[in-house]
This record gives sequence, structure tokens and C-alpha cells, in this order.
Amino acid sequence: MTTRQVKRLDELAQSVPPARDLWPAISAAIEAEKAANATVQGARRPAWRPAAALAAAVALVTVGVYIGRAMTPAGGPEIAANAQSGGDVVRTAFERDADYRKQRDVLMAEVQKRLQSMPTAERDKVSASLNTLRRSITEIEAALGRDPANALLQELLVSSCQEEMRALTAVREAGGQET
Amino acid sequence: MTKPDTVVEFDRALIERARRGDSRAFERLYREHVGRVHGLCLRMTRNPDLAADCVQDAFIKAWKALPRFEERASFSTWLHRIAVNTVLEKRRGPSKAEVIVEDPTEYEEPVLTFDTPVEEEELEAAIASLPQGARDALLLCGLYGYEHSEAAGMLGIAVGTCKAQLHRARGLLRERLERGVR
Repeated sequence: MTTRQVKRLDELAQSVPPARDLWPAISAAIEAEKAANATVQGARRPAWRPAAALAAAVALVTVGVYIGRAMTPAGGPEIAANAQSGGDVVRTAFERDADYRKQRDVLMAEVQKRLQSMPTAERDKVSASLNTLRRSITEIEAALGRDPANALLQELLVSSCQEEMRALTAVREAGGQET
Repeated sequence: MTKPDTVVEFDRALIERARRGDSRAFERLYREHVGRVHGLCLRMTRNPDLAADCVQDAFIKAWKALPRFEERASFSTWLHRIAVNTVLEKRRGPSKAEVIVEDPTEYEEPVLTFDTPVEEEELEAAIASLPQGARDALLLCGLYGYEHSEAAGMLGIAVGTCKAQLHRARGLLRERLERGVR
């Protein structure tokens, strides 16, 4: 097979489109960051004191490290098979540790209580941000289902889960300052 | 390297919207620039998967760094700088130090012409076979049209080294094309 002939180096095409659309992963990363920023900012607004910030930071680092360690990539072929099975939910490329899920559920329950005690406008804003963050994680999981070997998406999922835990912790702590 | 004013203006409008958090505007910028960024990453890494990772990372970094983008600069050049940085970061381990003896004589112009036409595929293969440093300089100066100072800045090397690497790349490329090495 012959290709086009050139007489100068700069006649080669500068543009080479990627084989697949890379935007979904980029978009998911951007949305996750936007949501995380919005949530943390919203939760910090009321009487945020250094002691609470310190407590949140400590909890955050602990949880972050814990998640980073506890979440390990699952087998690619199994995920690919799940993705192709056409189920309603595309399986994530990560298997969550049961302890992480339990910890998140407990935190979520506390956050729900705190949200009830917040002013309506504030509560709506924080809830919307948390929902966006959760939706971003779901989108990343779906993208990983389609492309299980994508290292960036894997990193992104871990960091997004960490961001979510950070946001939840911030909301809980912020609520604690108000009461 | 210069783009029509209308395109530049259009880019500026999109950049301004993206800076305010409009991810759709940023998607438009992505669609417009992804081909060139990917072309550069692919040729620098010689690995499609790694190139795709670099492109994704570069655009995410660009989104985060948009507030720091200076409007006087070219968005395309700025994006390429981020992409080159990302490739350099992702290259496994420190690159082997390539000893370049700088020749004080003037180096030729970056544009490389061939006496007889060359198959694109053969040329791409010859470029891919070049040593890393020589290949980087050839791609940035010879194909993407950057000045030595710009390319040297992106690669984190001295301008003289960049010129020497380009000189070396041209020699090796001609030699390999003549031998038909793939």
C-alpha cells in the first residue's frame, strides 16, 4: 500500500485525530472538579473555624488515603463482558471495598441530618452540588465500563470518590459549626 | 503558524466563556485543537494509548490553568506547551542524557526538503526511529513550525541544544530515508 508522497517535512499533516473520542473522559474530569469546588465552597460559607477545618482536613486525608489503598482495579475481561452484556447499569471498573461503602453510608446519613438543619437556599445548593458530584462519578464509572483499561479514568474515579468524601466531610463539619 | 483574525477572535470568545466555567465552550476548543495536539503527542510518544492519555491530561490541565492563560499568547502554542510538558512528565524515567556537541557554525533553516518525493508512511517511520531528543526538536521546529527559542522553552533545553538536535535529526533522517530504514 502506498501513501501520499511529500517533498517537504512540513507537508506532513500536523493534525492526527485520535482513534476514539477523548472528550467524555475530559468532560467527566472537568465536571467532577467543578462540582467538588462548588460543594466545598458552599459548605464552608457558614462560620468556618480553624479547628473544624483542621478536623475536616485530618478526616479528609485519612479517608483519602484509605480509599486510595482500598480501591483496586478489577479484572478487565470481566468488566468488558459486563459492559457488553447490555445490562441497565454499566459496571464500574473498580470494586469498592465494603468498608468504604459502609463508611460512606454512615457519612451520608450524617450529612442528610445536617442538611435538614440548613437554610433552604443553602441546602438546595449543597444538595445540587453533591448530586452533580455523584452524577460525575456515575459517568466516570460508565466510561470505565466502556474502556476498563483507561488509566486516567481509573485515577479519576479514585480522586472523584476522594473529592466526594471530602465534600461530605466538609458539609458534616460545617453543619457541626452551626449547631 | 498564524491564524486568520476571525479564527483568533472566535477562539478568544470561546476562551472567555470557558474561563467563566462554560464547559461547552471548552469542548469547542477541544474539538478545534485536539487533532494537532494528538498529532504532536503521538509522534513524540510513538504510542497511541500513551498519546491519548497525554491528550486527555493536557486538556484537563489546560482547563484548570485557563485563569492563568494570558490573552496576548496564542492558545494553540499554550496548549502545545502543556501537551509537551505532559509527554515529558509521562516518559518513563529520566531520559538518557544525549551528548550534543554544539557546533558554532550556523545551522540551516528548519524546513527540510527532499530531493525526491518520499512516501508519507516511510517518512513517519523514519521520524519515529530518531533518537528522542532529535525527534522532539525536529517535530516542534520542522513540522509544527516553532522557532528554536519556543521549542527549546517547551522542551526545557538550551536554544543551542535545540539547534544541534535539529541538525542531528536532519542528518539522521536523510541517512535513514536513503537507506530505506523503517
